[in-house]
Parts: sequence; structure tokens; C-alpha cells
Amino acid sequence: MERYLNTPIKEIITSFPEVGKILEEYSIGCVPCTLGSCLLKDIVAIHNLAEDKELELMYRIEKTIYPERDIKKPVFKASKKEPDKEIRYSPPMKRLVDEHTLIKKWIGRIPQVIENVDIESESGSQLILDGLDFIRFYADKFHHAKEEDILFDYTDKNLDIIRTILADHEAARGHVKEMLKAIGEKDTNAIIGHLCAYKDLLTEHIKKEDEILYPWIDRGLSTTQVGELFAKFNEAEEKMDKGVIEKCQKFIAEAEQRIENFHRS
Amino acid sequence: MMDGCPGARTQDFREKETKGDESGKRQSQLRQWPIQLHLVSPEAPYYQKADVLLSADCVAFTVGDFHKDYLKGKSIAIACPKLDEGQDEYVEKIKSWIDDTKINTLTVMIMQVPCCGGLVAMAQQALQSAKRKIPVKSIVVSLQGDILSEEWVEA
Repeated sequence: MERYLNTPIKEIITSFPEVGKILEEYSIGCVPCTLGSCLLKDIVAIHNLAEDKELELMYRIEKTIYPERDIKKPVFKASKKEPDKEIRYSPPMKRLVDEHTLIKKWIGRIPQVIENVDIESESGSQLILDGLDFIRFYADKFHHAKEEDILFDYTDKNLDIIRTILADHEAARGHVKEMLKAIGEKDTNAIIGHLCAYKDLLTEHIKKEDEILYPWIDRGLSTTQVGELFAKFNEAEEKMDKGVIEKCQKFIAEAEQRIENFHRS
Repeated sequence: MMDGCPGARTQDFREKETKGDESGKRQSQLRQWPIQLHLVSPEAPYYQKADVLLSADCVAFTVGDFHKDYLKGKSIAIACPKLDEGQDEYVEKIKSWIDDTKINTLTVMIMQVPCCGGLVAMAQQALQSAKRKIPVKSIVVSLQGDILSEEWVEA
């Protein structure tokens, strides 16, 4: 089993698809992951399951990989206390989660945008361009930059989970670049394709960060480090153009109405 | 039956079994004097950019490993939100820590008795009126020294 504990999860799921289903039962969503390079042992550690749940999970995975082996079923003692389902974040991490809330509002509206996309009209192309500005300035320069330039310095950047998150950021930037090109070429299909891919990527990415990455980083931070992070986030925000951030927030507040008007016309 | 104020109710823990390693001596982790909130200057050098522990008076007598687990690496002030007078000055001093001394974090450690919540309320009031924002944590201790909760406080 030692060998599989040190094997990237994608390799394990490819060889033993049942393992992916078992992980999903424990709310460990590795199957749709874009990279799947995290080692099984890191995945189990990072999800911070209750002790009995972790024992049960490892038993089921081992049994799936080695069905012929006589593996002793661990005695599952019921947890004295149900783990707290509500995630409590430190103040700097809470700020990143709150920023996700705004990004999710735009992601949630992408299907309506796709349904009504009209790149030929001025209002139609402007809506797409404003949406891309929101992604570039708010989701990327304001939010992702705080993670890449500050938060990840408090982790080992060589860890697979961090590499996966950074790869997501690069993939998102790639979609934005392609969308800008498609707008210039008035290529509606390419715009729709990249918007859809961006929506799927960011939906999964935000879930990974809110539910796995941020709580995991929080568990490793000392009180002093929480204070440092909070101060560094403040400094970074002070350097940013407040007008641009307010414009992004205004865009989200007005987006629903703009899409609605577009739908009616 | 009327039990009166939980903060003043007589309780006897003498039967409690004591465990743990009592061998060896531990060094004090206190790095300053004075410590009482009325006596300290909020601009004292040991508060500059520090992680500050604001502890209710009773806490240090209750938590066995207070020095090792909570005081180490921090600057401290102590106060009693039930008995101390002049608590407006306390709020001003906490605000001065945040704005003038630019402390890194504030940890407020209180007993589980209801009157102790006043110390967290003072910290929140100071945070709300301060220009700077900092992370504030609240730690609640049971009467027998167990940690009941440890969470970040909303501003």
C-alpha cells in the first residue's frame, strides 16, 4: 500500500476507477481535477477527515486495490463529536472567500450570457468585454495576485496542490486570451467555448480553494502569520486602483439587469 | 433553586484528578512589566507591532500551561470586565494598540462565565472605532482550565 500512498491520484483512479467513487463518497472530488498529480497520502491528510472516517476510507481503498488480500477491517468507533461542518476561516482567508462570492456571481450568469450572445451588436460585444475586464482585473489581478504573490509564500510552492491551483490560474488566463482574440475575430463559437470552459474551470477551482486549500493553509498558520497575511493583503489592496475595483463591483451589481435587457431586445 | 451569578458561584474542584508531568521547572514567558491594563502604556515598546494577549484576570490561574501555550511570544495586558472601573479607558487603550502601536493581532482570552464576554465586546468596540483593522481572536476557557472555543472575531 505504501507504493500507492506515494502515487499521483490520477494514476490510481485510472487503474482503479472505483477509488474515485469512494473518494467522492467522502466529499473528496479528485475525479474532475485538471492535473490529478497530488499523492494519495497528501490528499487524505489535506482533507482532515475524522479519525474513524480516515481509517474507513483507507481500508476501502486498500481493499479495492488488493481485493485478494486479507485486510483486517478496522474497528470503526463512532466519533464522539460530529466534525464541525461549517468552515471557519481566519480573517485574511475569509477575505479571499468573500472575493470568491463576487466571482461566483459572474460565473453564475455566464449561461445566460452564452444563451444571448450577440457579438455583432455593440451592447452584446460590450457585455462580453466588460465581463472579461472583470475577470482580468478582479478575479486575476486583485484576487489571484494576492494568492500568488502573498499567500502561497506561506506554503511549499512545490506541493502538488499548489501546483494544481497555479495551473488553474494559467488555464484561466489562457481562456481570457483566447476570448479576446475571438472577440476581435467576431468568432461567436470560440467565445462560447472559452466562456463555458472558464465557467467550469473556475467553479471547480473555487470549490477546491474554499473547501480544501484555504482550511488546510489556515490549519498551518500561527496567529502571528495570520496577522502578517492580513496586513500584507491590506498593503496590496492599497496599491491597487480603487476605481477599477469599484467598477468591477458595479459591473456585477448591474450585470443581471444588462443581461435581462439584452434578452428582451 | 437560585444559583446566583455563575461568575461568583462557589464550586469545589478538589476531587479533580491531576495528570501530567510535574517534573522540572518552566521559565516564565512574561517579557514586560506592568501588565494590568490601567497601568500599561499602550505605546510601550513591547506592544509595537506585537501579537497582544488581552487576558481576563482569572485565566492565568485556570489554564495549566498558560505561559507555554498562550503567553509565549506575546505581549500581554490583563483586566477584569466585571470588577474593574474606568472601562472606557480600556477601549481607548485597545484602540491605541490598533492605530498607534500597530499591533499585529489581538487575542482576547476569557473565562466561560457570562460577565467575561465584556472583554471581547470591548475589543470589538475598539476595533470598530479604529482606523486600522487587525485580526482579533477570542479564546474561551472553562472553569477547570479546558479550552472551550478558539475563533476569530468578526469586526
